[in-house]
Amino acid sequence: MRSGSVVTDIALLAGVGMLLGLGYNALGLRGGNDWGLAWKAVPLIETLGGEVKAVAAGAGDFATPPAPVSDDPLAPPPTARRDLPVIEDFGRPMEIGLEAVKQLHEADAALFIDAREDWEYAEGHIAGAINLPYEQAITDPAMLEQVDQGGRPIIVYCGGGSCEISIQVAWELLGVGKTHIAVYMGGFPEWQQAGYPVDKKAGEA
Amino acid sequence: MKTLIEKLSHPLLVRLAGIAIGLVFVVAGLAKIGDMSTFATQVHNFRLTPVALENLVAMTLPWIEVVAGTALILGVRRRGAAWICAGLMVVFTLAVGQAAARGLDFECGCFGKGDASTVGVKKLIENVGLTVVALIATLRRRS
Repeated sequence: MRSGSVVTDIALLAGVGMLLGLGYNALGLRGGNDWGLAWKAVPLIETLGGEVKAVAAGAGDFATPPAPVSDDPLAPPPTARRDLPVIEDFGRPMEIGLEAVKQLHEADAALFIDAREDWEYAEGHIAGAINLPYEQAITDPAMLEQVDQGGRPIIVYCGGGSCEISIQVAWELLGVGKTHIAVYMGGFPEWQQAGYPVDKKAGEA
Repeated sequence: MKTLIEKLSHPLLVRLAGIAIGLVFVVAGLAKIGDMSTFATQVHNFRLTPVALENLVAMTLPWIEVVAGTALILGVRRRGAAWICAGLMVVFTLAVGQAAARGLDFECGCFGKGDASTVGVKKLIENVGLTVVALIATLRRRS
């Protein structure tokens, strides 16, 4: 057997395998089949240590300003904000844990976005959160652009567990130019269970 | 060295090596096809492909394994199939090696979801062994 034919065979077998794979996936994407993958993978969240670390001096513009260095014993004490977690701008959402979410919520230092359906939001949401349902967010980019983060970082959440629409909404927000976005994967169930502040009225989206 | 290769290219040995590695590839490929989304996650875990290409790898790689494995078992385009298996084994071994070296700890996904073995030294030795078997299968049979 000449080596040329081995190379041909390699190409042939690999090609057949690839075509079968693509064909099988295309079949999976059709109708009610449940095995198809998106052709282009959507980058999921990059977890950066899970929990956001407390502020390190010298972080970006959204970071709390580092306390002025002063030898003056009468200088005002560093502000409380100095101890807040920092949601940095990585160009992708970062994950944030309950404790850090709680600190930012207490200090009113982040904009909370509830990515669930409006009726779920109406039944209860993190106090002060606005509603930006995933389905509407992806069809109406204007809604995303209207979000005014007012110089604050954004924390998106949804229903916890395997809920990933918060990640999708976070990516959409990044897509319209928002920055410093974190996703709180514990979501509303974890927040509620922890006994933290909850609103029930339907707020404006 | 030549004598070793000559010894290893005994027709029966080459054939058996081909069937063995072929079975491994078919089983491993089918397990991955059975749960593509899990395999896609595992591809992501290895951090070797650009994120956008991960799904394409996840949907085609298992089928290449199955096709090459089947060809090896049947003895159709045997040496081509064996080279694919050997090549993939080298890639898998390097992938597991770099993951272990980087201290990543996750299920390797080598045999799909049901396989709880994680990347590590044991998996590395297993892969080197399979690579050797695959290489034997690539040999021309001594007549």
